[in-house]
Amino acid sequence: MRTTRPRRCVLAAIICSTLSSPAAWADGEVIAAFTKNQVDPHFEGVRAGVAQMAQRMNATVKNYTPTKPNNITEGMSQLEDVGVTKPNLMLFMPIDAKAQLPTIKRLIDSGLPIINYNDRGGDAPFLSFIGQDDYKLGYDIAKTLFDHLGGKGNVVILEGVKGSTTGDERKRGFDAAAKDYPNIKILASQPTNFQRLLGMQTMENLIQQFSTIDGVIAAADASALGAIEALNAAGRKNVAVVSINGVPEAVEAVKAGSLLAIAEFDGFKIGCVATAVGLNAIRGQSAPKQVTIPGAIITKANYAPWLIPYKDRTCPTPDAYIAK
Amino acid sequence: MTIPATLDTRSPSLSPDALALLGRLILIVLIAGALTAVDPGFASVSNLLNMLRQASLLFLVASGLTLVIIGGGLDLSVGSNLTLSACLAAAAIKTTGNPWYGVAVAVTSGTLIGFTNGLMINRLRLPPFLATFGMLWVAQGAAYWFMAGQTIYGMPMSFRYFGTGFFLGVPLPIWITLVVCVVCSIILHRTTFGREAYFMGANQTAALLSGIAVERRRLLLYVLSGLTAGIAALVYLARLNAAEPGIGEPLLLPAIAAVLVGGTSLFGGSGNIVGTVLGAILLTIIVNGLNLLNVAATWHPFVNGAVVLIAILADFIVSRRRSESG
Amino acid sequence: MTAPTQSQQRPGAGQFFSAIPGAGILLILMLALFTIANPRFVSQTNLVNVGLQASLLLMIALPMTLIILTEGLDLSAGALLGLSGVIVAEALLAGWSVFAACAMAFAISTAFGALNGVLIAYLTLPAFVVTLGTMGLMQGIALVMTNGDPVGGFTPAIETFYRSQLWIFPMPIVVAVALYAALWLLLYRTRLGNYVIAIGGNKDALRLAGIRANLVHLAVYVLGSAIVGLSAVLLIGRTNSAHPTVGIGMEFEAIAAVVLGGTSFEKGQGWLFGAVLGALAITVLRNGLNILSVDSSLQVVCIGILLILALLIDRARKHYSR
Repeated sequence: MRTTRPRRCVLAAIICSTLSSPAAWADGEVIAAFTKNQVDPHFEGVRAGVAQMAQRMNATVKNYTPTKPNNITEGMSQLEDVGVTKPNLMLFMPIDAKAQLPTIKRLIDSGLPIINYNDRGGDAPFLSFIGQDDYKLGYDIAKTLFDHLGGKGNVVILEGVKGSTTGDERKRGFDAAAKDYPNIKILASQPTNFQRLLGMQTMENLIQQFSTIDGVIAAADASALGAIEALNAAGRKNVAVVSINGVPEAVEAVKAGSLLAIAEFDGFKIGCVATAVGLNAIRGQSAPKQVTIPGAIITKANYAPWLIPYKDRTCPTPDAYIAK
Repeated sequence: MTIPATLDTRSPSLSPDALALLGRLILIVLIAGALTAVDPGFASVSNLLNMLRQASLLFLVASGLTLVIIGGGLDLSVGSNLTLSACLAAAAIKTTGNPWYGVAVAVTSGTLIGFTNGLMINRLRLPPFLATFGMLWVAQGAAYWFMAGQTIYGMPMSFRYFGTGFFLGVPLPIWITLVVCVVCSIILHRTTFGREAYFMGANQTAALLSGIAVERRRLLLYVLSGLTAGIAALVYLARLNAAEPGIGEPLLLPAIAAVLVGGTSLFGGSGNIVGTVLGAILLTIIVNGLNLLNVAATWHPFVNGAVVLIAILADFIVSRRRSESG
Repeated sequence: MTAPTQSQQRPGAGQFFSAIPGAGILLILMLALFTIANPRFVSQTNLVNVGLQASLLLMIALPMTLIILTEGLDLSAGALLGLSGVIVAEALLAGWSVFAACAMAFAISTAFGALNGVLIAYLTLPAFVVTLGTMGLMQGIALVMTNGDPVGGFTPAIETFYRSQLWIFPMPIVVAVALYAALWLLLYRTRLGNYVIAIGGNKDALRLAGIRANLVHLAVYVLGSAIVGLSAVLLIGRTNSAHPTVGIGMEFEAIAAVVLGGTSFEKGQGWLFGAVLGALAITVLRNGLNILSVDSSLQVVCIGILLILALLIDRARKHYSR
């Protein structure tokens, strides 16, 4: 093995950088789109939505995702680095709203137009916020489950990431709904960090702990899917599971009947609308302060549109969601 | 430092090691007893099997790692190896519909990554920490690239049997753990290779001088570590019924902790696979117990850290006289 | 740093070139490549960014160098960074003065450093395991204190300090340079420094020479933790909030920086400046790939390849200079 020659190392370095050399600058504006990780298909939906709308409106997208999932310091560095490249528009979702706020404010001060999407990014002067009402999603899906159970039964909650806006707001929605149903008993509420393995193992332990579980509310699809595996393995067939998101895998589960319902938290639509609102704004139109995309309840009756792969879906325009 | 003395500790009289194992076993029984006293549900057969099944996943990742560490090395790439192998296997199963292709792919990719680690350490003389740390990133990146933000899900039932099935009333992952544990034990204690691995770990120079083909043995150790990561990938895939590029990353430190809590020394040359089984059980029983007691999840890292410290301190107290005479 | 390529063609030609580790060579290559690919890379704003990002990494990597020189390791550094940040933030929220809050963080970090040091130096337990355990303790305490939530809303003085400048240099860079100077003096100009280096080579010989080697060994961990604990102030200044898990993983990045710079895990071979090169190499790579908007999955691969490449260059250099 004589590959240790420095010359070859140089060659390898060049190949490495050529592979990664930037795409030619397209005619339109450059959009820097941030997502939180490369693991959760929800963010693939966001990226697909941004890509489609940008193409339709003749702009170029550059994606930024931390190499380690949801890593705060990396997310901060990426913000600082991207500020240097001076994109025409930035689409930003916080990994941690508090931590990233100072950097975001400085970028906005430097004249960079920033749209906040997916998660609320604090009180910086963003052009607009495009997202969904996490509290309402949580409330609606919990209500769907409780109604299905006839207003009484034992329910466990699989929370999201503690401290994240999406996680906390959804939890608040779950709790609010539970208050409306006096005969629903919340047996336990544990964080599963939107993760599948943690969802599964937490559910396994809860199964051991409680002999009767009638329903499970998960803050995200991945946790719900993990929990369903645990329930199936334990032979608990009659447990109704609901979740929030609507990634294709979970919609398949709705189709198969193993998941009762999903409150739609649609990354694709958020990506589309954020891109359109942002591009319109920097092209001179006024931007609505906030666009809240309503979340449907996905059930066996209406699942079909969410089974379509992201890249084959058609972007909605912001007009559909802006109250006149 | 004489060679026979080093080899002697591996012969049937394993008293110090046996003592360490016994200590861990007693600790596990004590914790289990305490948990049962608080909540009788803990001692139910189904909960014990549930706990052992969770421990078996951790053990499988840690098993090959134990061999490498005994041989004086380190493999930080087991987690991302598992990720990549699981993703590739899932794709193979999805496209062919035949689980055996998946098994072949996971085993091959796991082994290849282990082989590459061994090669980097042998031929390029890279320190194991960094060679495998580099591999961690490369395999993780390859998994991200391959999956492109998606998950692969919906494995055939015949395959999922590996993760969810029962044989004689016991979950299959536990059987797999048993088999891997026995095989590793035989390798370590009943073969020349195993004895040489201990010897290499204890004193590499001496091993070289006494004519052991250190490089070849080392390569084999890393290949075995990669192989068990591949097997673990299959069990994870069968358990979760889906592959996503984030599954392996959180497993690395718990796996290392299981090995070390099990009494295997990071300096190499001592430890055994049964210890790792007990280490994995110890770490799992604690999480299980905390859940049972409804302790908030924020406490888990603290308790885990405390267990790691208590385990090494206990070992220190038990083996102080021995280490001072050696 | 002139004509670096010569060192590759004629290795061993001059002591200076053969002293440049793989990380240095890669650093120069990357600077050149990124500059050609996107001239904004060398804009003042970006160089300041690189400096700021690298200085935070250095605050962990510099003390880590001392620890690795003693054939040790500190996996708890990242967790301690998070914990200290939380302590400072909570203390400030409880109405403490900035000085008192920092003193509190300093005291607790020092205590944890002492715990690490006693277990490693006096009880001769392996550093990897000890610090893996204390890492869990620290992370756990930070999580329990905050219930997993970020802590914000404390006095803006911390952020002001982070953003302040000494003449034209941003404060974090000044702090990192000052820390480097202090540790350089300690390591190369004091007897204590000699002992630190000697511990990695041969602790027993040091002890036989009548020196309290264990105490020196302990001091390295205490010093390391104290530095990490104080640098948490910079981190929470950067984010204007404290997050319990923010530092997790930074210890591995710092270790990688140290080893990239040519410090070895064995026999106390290494040098302090290597950590600077290593930290810069890692930061420049990440920054450059971001500036070129390289796909995130490729970034992950590139980091792995850079690590291995730098070591290969070291290997080759040693091979040729022999």
